This record gives sequence, structure tokens and C-alpha cells, in this order.
Amino acid sequence: MNKLKVLFVAMATMVCSALAQTDSTAVAMPAPAQTDSVKAPEDYAFEHFYISIEGGEIYPWGDLQDAVENTLYGGVGIRYSYWENADGFMTFNYSYFRPVPRTKIDGVHQFSGKVGLEFHIKYIKPLVIGAGFACNFTRADMEDGVDISFEKDLGGTLADNETEFGWFVRLKLPLFNYEKFRVGFNAQWEELWTLPKRSDMMTMGLYIEREIW
Amino acid sequence: MKKIILPFLTAAMMSTAFAEVDAEIEGMEYEVRGDGTFLIGGPTYAFDRIMGAGGTFSESELWTPAKLRERLLFNRMSGTPSWTPMAPAVWFKTGNELGDLIYQNLLPSDEPNPANRTPYLEGGFTTPSFKGFWATARLFQDDHFCGKTAGPRKQFVGESFAHFGENIPLFSTAYGGLGYTNSMVNASLLVGSEYLWTYTATSRWIPVHYSPRIEARADVNNVSVTVAYEDGEYKDVRKKESGRRQEINGSIYYQCGEQCKRGMLQVSAGLSFRGVNDSGTVYTELENERVLWPFIELRAQPIPRLTADVMFGINERDWLVQDSVQFTSPTPKNMGIVAGVKNISGTRLNPLADTKEFMDNHEINLVADGQMTLIQGYAVFNDTLGNMSIGGRGSYWAEYGAETFDVEDFVTGAMTYRYGNVSRINSWIKGVTGELWFNAWYQDLFKFSAMGGFEHIDGLTKKLEVTPTEFFVSFGGDWLINKTFRIAHSLKYRSDARWNLRSPNPMVVKGDWYWDVTFEERIPKYGIIFSGTLLHALANEVIEVPNAGYDRLRLICLAKKTF
Repeated sequence: MNKLKVLFVAMATMVCSALAQTDSTAVAMPAPAQTDSVKAPEDYAFEHFYISIEGGEIYPWGDLQDAVENTLYGGVGIRYSYWENADGFMTFNYSYFRPVPRTKIDGVHQFSGKVGLEFHIKYIKPLVIGAGFACNFTRADMEDGVDISFEKDLGGTLADNETEFGWFVRLKLPLFNYEKFRVGFNAQWEELWTLPKRSDMMTMGLYIEREIW
Repeated sequence: MKKIILPFLTAAMMSTAFAEVDAEIEGMEYEVRGDGTFLIGGPTYAFDRIMGAGGTFSESELWTPAKLRERLLFNRMSGTPSWTPMAPAVWFKTGNELGDLIYQNLLPSDEPNPANRTPYLEGGFTTPSFKGFWATARLFQDDHFCGKTAGPRKQFVGESFAHFGENIPLFSTAYGGLGYTNSMVNASLLVGSEYLWTYTATSRWIPVHYSPRIEARADVNNVSVTVAYEDGEYKDVRKKESGRRQEINGSIYYQCGEQCKRGMLQVSAGLSFRGVNDSGTVYTELENERVLWPFIELRAQPIPRLTADVMFGINERDWLVQDSVQFTSPTPKNMGIVAGVKNISGTRLNPLADTKEFMDNHEINLVADGQMTLIQGYAVFNDTLGNMSIGGRGSYWAEYGAETFDVEDFVTGAMTYRYGNVSRINSWIKGVTGELWFNAWYQDLFKFSAMGGFEHIDGLTKKLEVTPTEFFVSFGGDWLINKTFRIAHSLKYRSDARWNLRSPNPMVVKGDWYWDVTFEERIPKYGIIFSGTLLHALANEVIEVPNAGYDRLRLICLAKKTF
């Protein structure tokens, strides 16, 4: 949790410094489409298109801290203009979770796909708030020939492929831009609709984004 | 095609517009309805009875010409799994019953792990037309509702019975084919393989693997032709039984065209048919191994406000007539009042269905002697005031000779089966229904609907297969933001329903609230759609059909690019 606190402080510092900027051009803003009073809302779609890579750390939240350790993640994404003040995005991340209790499995591979919308709200800029659905595919990593029971063993259900959906909100802080590149910070809170309890995680990461058009 | 039920549909269309929540698959639209009794056993079986329709049977049990291209699954017409080619697009769809453990399974617990949740999987494409020719392929299977019964069902088929995975889903379909479309002709030929479980009179799920299944369709002007060939393999691994049914089924149908509709008397007609060749053990039988079902539809409109419809079909074994007379009353502008009478009479609700089922050493007769008659009188009003409308519908119905099942005995175990024979309730069962609705809208941005209804039934209700729900309320709200982002949701409650005859003690499906919602991101300029649909949130996860799986909260996601 210490790492998490450090990251929170770092994020708060960056938010404050970004909000203190008087010249908004000094902060790399995701570029919403050009204002055009005669343009219909549906005409903004795909006026701009970006690809990105992202990496950072995932922090299990609440009871989940007793299930898996903090872990790193990495992935790719796309973003596209959707409305005048909103963009659509998709991300695909990979991470590897190590279990906290002693189990027959060494770890869990997780592939996470996310689809959502993010909104450029002038009262909180340069922060960008987004939300959407997540689909997480998981599979246990374990030695060949391990005898694991689906019903009884810790992590037994993960020996087969498992998929679960959830939702997330995220807060993006663009830090700077250079020609067609943007660098920023992404904080994300995610809830998977698991049983017997929902599974919550916090994600902190840095992204590099390139404008394609 | 819809003319015979048009009077009733007209009345239904005057009712509330339900929230436009997407069903998980075409043919399962009943799962997002709130105005009746909708008990789901899985994608291949549901008891789906709209309250205002009257009678004691469910909608899918009644054969009508409108269902000629639906699938006959045992004795019901089903829109799932559909072999209707999709419009030009490429798409991927997936979903899951929510509630897997994932990382929660790494926390020590005294409880055994709960049952696994199961997914929905689909991918496919239909190409744009090239000089009229196009190609299509689709793989789709719905693993929902299958977890609880997978164990007993595995005893029939072994470990795997699907194109993908080992969940033993209730259907798994893959097909590919070619088509040709121009201004006169729309034709297609699909070839594929399908794993399917049908729910029968004995409450068994019977598996069949069609390989191949071939379906050809052609629409030329006002004539539609459909022919399907099915080579079905049946087996029960545990009993070392196996069988094969080769079947040809289809229809030819002439529909009254534009010119014909201008006349006072409008005529449509068709022929539906099935022929089977059974060998080994296939668990059901079609008498004479064939059925031919000619039918005719007539519509007369002697004056513009009075419409009379009749559909009549007959063969050497059965007959079925569905008719109605409807009068539209003169009213002030923005108001509509419709009154009508409808009648359904016949020896069988579905004259194309099999005539016998076999379980162990028992023979179950699926054809009851005599006939049934349903008479319903109804009145509907609707009044529009600016951006609001109110309406209501009342009906009184009476049915004589309703189909029931005379249970001789039950077989209990992991599942409960029954044997006996289909028979009739030779007395009148009567019902009175009332529904009220309110709609409000603002341009195309927002729509709201509220609806409530009740039904009281008198008669030998304990002899009905299902005693339907007595009342419901339903609220829906749809937004279309910036003409590109759609949110549709509905909240509804239905009271208890009860299965009377499929277990020694009646099985009550408790009343509950259900919340469904669809989020849909549209990018019309590029024909792209992303959507997510949550189905049956809030409700307790219960079994709604004897021997079926749980109706769980589920999420379906779709990504689609149209051409």
C-alpha cells in the first residue's frame, strides 16, 4: 500500500500543477474535433484517431489484497473522436497476477479488453473522465500434471479459462505533447462482477499516444 | 404473412412501446418483455404467453403462417437458432452469465466453489453484394441456462456436444453459404452443422446433432419457398442407444401482393410440409413419417372500418382455423378505439409437430382427441395529447378443450420426468384481462412508457400446464443522445406463475422485479455499432422451467461493422 500512497501523492501533485497552468496550451489536451455550428453530432466520429501504448501497476482493492499481489501491466489502445466533446476508446492489456495464499497455481494470466467513452468537461480540464465496460479473460499458470480440483482447491476454477465482465471509470491527465505524440497519466478504478463479492482494483499508469490523423 | 393476426397486432401496436432493450439473440425477444408470463428454460425452450393474447397456451405453441421460417423444436415454433441470413456486415458478439469467482477463488472459504457461469459466443460475416451475389458464414452458440443441467445431459452425449467448449450448451450452430439478390429475387443456400437440445412433453432434454443441415430459400415476387434437409444423429451414451432421422421440411407460400391488397377480398395461400426417415432410436415419431399442411388466408374489408380475417388449414389428420373481425370506431382526431372478436379452433395448435414420444418403455401420445376452441372479445383505446398518450385494453376470453397432460407417473432422480398422454380439459376456462399504459416522448431524444395489467382466470387452472402470472407492471425509458448513443432500459415486475404438471408438487416461479438495459454506441458514418446489454438484473436467480438451468444476470457485448 505504500507504493499506492506514493502514487496518489504524485498524482495529486501533478493534478495541482496541471490545474495551476494558466496557459492551457502548455498542457497537452486531447484534441476534440473543431467546433462547427452546422456540423451534425454524428459527423465528429473518427475525425481524429490515435493509437497508444500504456504501462503501469495494478493494485487489488479491499479483500482482494489477500488474494493477489500488486502487479504490472502493459498494453495497447486506440482513441477516436466521437462527439464534439467526447471520444471513444478501446484498450487491451496483459498482466500476470501472483496469488497471495499458497496454492497449486503459480499465477494467473489476465487479458483485459475495455471499451468506453471519455468526456472533455471544461470545468475539470485538462483532466479527462471516462467510463465503460471491461471484459477480463483469465487462465491459471501452473506446472503440467498438477492435480487440481475445480470444486475444492484454491484457484481451482482458474485452471480452466474464465471470463468475467465489469465496469470502470478512469481519469486521464495529459502531461505534455511533442508534435504528434502525447504523454499522460491514467488512473483507473475497475470492478469485476464476480461472486461471492465484486472484485475491485485500482490501476495507475503512463501512456504514450500518437495521433494518426 | 401477418394479415391473419393483424387485428390483434393492430391492437397490440396501439399499446405501449416497450423499451428497446436488445435480446441476447434473435428469437428470444420474450426475455425483455414484461406484459405476460415469460418463463425461460433456455434459448431453445420458453413458455411465452402475452397476457392480452388470452387462452391457456404460449405464443410459440401456436402455428401461424407468420412462423413459416422459424424452427420447429418438438412442438413449438422457435426463432432461435435462426437460419435467416444476416444483413451485410461483419460482427463479433460475446457475453457471460455474471458471477464467476476469478480472483475471489484465491480467498480461503468454507463453502464449495459455486457453479461455473457460462458464456455466449458468436462471430460472422455477410459480404456486400457483388453483381447480386453474396456470401455469409456464422458461428453462434448460447451457453446460458446450461450449467445446472450439464451433468445429467452429459450422460446422453459424453464430454463434448458443441462446436466450442465443453459446457454442453443448449445449441451450437455453424453455417456458411451463398446468396443472390436483385429487384425480383432473393435467394440463399446455407450449409452447416448444429448441436441442439429440445425440451419435450416428458420434460427431457433430447440432443440431436444435425450434420449436415442445409436450408435453401427463394423469394420471387410474391412467392416464398423454403426447403431444409436435416440429417440428425440421436444418442444416449449411457444406455448405448443411437438413432438417425433424415428430414426434409419447408414451405411454399403465395402472399397477397400490392395489387391484390387493393381488392375487397385478399387471398394468400401456402403449403407447409415435413417428411422424415427414422432409423434406430430417435425418441419421437411423426405418424406416417410425413405431414402436408395446406392453408389459405382470406381478408375481407367490405367497408374501410370493418376488417375480417381468416386462416384455415386442413389435412387428413388435423384442422386449424384462426379468424377475427375487427371494427375501428369513428373517433375524434388523435384518438383510436378498436373493438374485435377473435377465434382459434382446431385439433392441434401445431399440426406439423411429432405425434408420439417414447421414454423407456412408455409411449406418450402427443395428439389429444377432440378439438379446442378459444373465443376472445377485446376493446382497445388510445388517446394522444401532445407528447403523451394514454391507452388501455380489456378482453374476455373463454377456451374449451384446452390441451393438458394426463400424468400417469413421475420418474424422479437428478431430474424429474413424467409420462402419460396429451389430453384435453373438456370444460370452459375463462379469463378477463385489463391493461393500461402511458407513454411520453420528446422528439427522438427520449421516450418513456409505463404499463400495468391484470388477469383473472376461472376454471380448472390446476390442470393447466402453467398457471400464468396474474399481474404485471412495466416501466421503460429510451434515450438517443446526439442521435448516436442509445440507452434503453426497462424495469418490470410480474407476479407468481406456476407449473402444475411437470413434478409431483407444483413448481412456483416466484414473482420478481427485472431490470434490463442496453448501451449502444453508433457511428453511422462508418456503419459501426458497439453495444452492451445487461439482462435480468435485480431479479433473484431462479429456475423458471422444470429441469432447466438458472435464469442468471447476464451481459452481452456486440461489435458490428455494416457494409
